[in-house]
Amino acid sequence: MTAPEGFSETRLVDPFEVFMGPVYERIEDGGRRFALLVDGRHVNGRGILHGGMLMTFADCVLGAKAWDLTNNSACVTLNMQSQFLKPAVAGDLVEVRPELVRRTRALLFLRGDFTVKGETVFTASSVWKLLGKD
Amino acid sequence: MSAHPALPPGAVEGPASGFNRHVGPIYNLPDAEDGALKRFAFAVAEKHMNAAGSVHGGMLMGFMDVAMSRSARAVSGAPRCSTVSLSCDFAGPGRLGDLIEAQVRVVRATRTMVFLVGELRAGGRVLLTANGLWKIAGMKAGT
Repeated sequence: MTAPEGFSETRLVDPFEVFMGPVYERIEDGGRRFALLVDGRHVNGRGILHGGMLMTFADCVLGAKAWDLTNNSACVTLNMQSQFLKPAVAGDLVEVRPELVRRTRALLFLRGDFTVKGETVFTASSVWKLLGKD
Repeated sequence: MSAHPALPPGAVEGPASGFNRHVGPIYNLPDAEDGALKRFAFAVAEKHMNAAGSVHGGMLMGFMDVAMSRSARAVSGAPRCSTVSLSCDFAGPGRLGDLIEAQVRVVRATRTMVFLVGELRAGGRVLLTANGLWKIAGMKAGT
């Protein structure tokens, strides 16, 4: 699969992400912007991007943001809240630039607005625990 | 694909295309509590894992999304429905070989919306708890 113009393929390590990917990225203002090119493995019976795939993409890229912020520390998702605003379909490029909302010693609060052609289709907020920190 | 040895009697693979087919099989289990508790299952395989040896959070949330969608359609009779919001808490890790069961309850169903709660369990362990809000569509006017 060829990367969309301006993007390169993200290195994925989790077997499930490799199985569902690829995911693409480019550097923007010092952080990573990620993209998913929706294909037939990502949609439901009506050809609409599956909620499970959006949440998988979100967990993947918010996790990548957590890694970038912590020098690749081990961390786990505690919670994720997802809102589905508008359907996306096969062939769409879903883009997101994950944001840090707040960081404490043990927790990261992250969020992302996921867009297709500049229009937000999905938002996710997640809380991450840095393992070994009280 | 051979069925998981721990699959309970009455397990039937649900409709599978696209995402569901790729990550599945995802089974429908018989309802419990006189239909109040909707049940679903999938068996954890290598493809579902993260690098830390746990089931990937995306797979757990995706499975809950499928379970709640099927539950929302079952209670409403609507041909189509879509996720509006879903909140998931990750209470514990899923492991390779686990048979993970989703248990979903409908809190309230209106003409256009369904409110659901659910959890994922493996054996006696709770892996995930969730609240979901679904929009149902395709109902005939007046029904």
